[in-house]
Amino acid sequence: MNKKFADIVIRASRIDRRHIQLVIVIVSLAMLILGIGAPLDGGGPTRIRF
Amino acid sequence: MILLAALLLGLLAGPALALGLRRPYRLPDPRHLCLVPAAFLPQLLVVYLPVGREMEPVSAAALTLPVSLVVFLIFVWLNRRIPGMPVVLVGLVLNLLVITANGGWMPVSPETASQLPGGASPSEATTGIRVGDKDILLRPEDTRLELLADRFLLPEWLGYRAAYSLGDVFAAAGAFWLFASPPIMSNLNGSNNADD
Repeated sequence: MNKKFADIVIRASRIDRRHIQLVIVIVSLAMLILGIGAPLDGGGPTRIRF
Repeated sequence: MILLAALLLGLLAGPALALGLRRPYRLPDPRHLCLVPAAFLPQLLVVYLPVGREMEPVSAAALTLPVSLVVFLIFVWLNRRIPGMPVVLVGLVLNLLVITANGGWMPVSPETASQLPGGASPSEATTGIRVGDKDILLRPEDTRLELLADRFLLPEWLGYRAAYSLGDVFAAAGAFWLFASPPIMSNLNGSNNADD
């Protein structure tokens, strides 16, 4: 169990900080674009109903 | 979906251009990034979660979009020097204007909504109700700044139906440019430096 935990910690410490920043920037910019836009999607899994 | 498509296209075009121009691809590096989740959170609660979706259009929920867009506006203004951000800024201002002028929701006419899957015919439509995520059904004569409302439709041959506003067009173009332009800008800067 301890060995497994140590293995996870070692793997996590190998993740490049720049990769995490990259993901944060992409997710934030996606939130920005989704947040400012207001299209009414009709085709797709969520159909409008009124 | 159409906004995400523009973003993904930019994310594909940027690295492809970088490869073609033999430049390293670097994503934009915006400042004050913490403002983005702060602005998105109210929308997540009222627009995207089931609890918020059931809220009446004339309620505290009506304040959510304008407040959220103002926080986004601060973020975009602080990062206006990033290529693509001025285009995003135009889209944001246009959507903020029409949403604020129409009680906090993006107006869509019964005629436009009726052309989307699941939409009732204009004569049967009840105006003043929320439709989709951020829209409210309003007749064109009751809509302020109708030119900026969700009045455009994707062409039928695309096989995907959506109504969008002029602000959405700028937001999508800005999103594409944000991700696609870094190698072009880096190439231009490189050429300028070479001229020096």
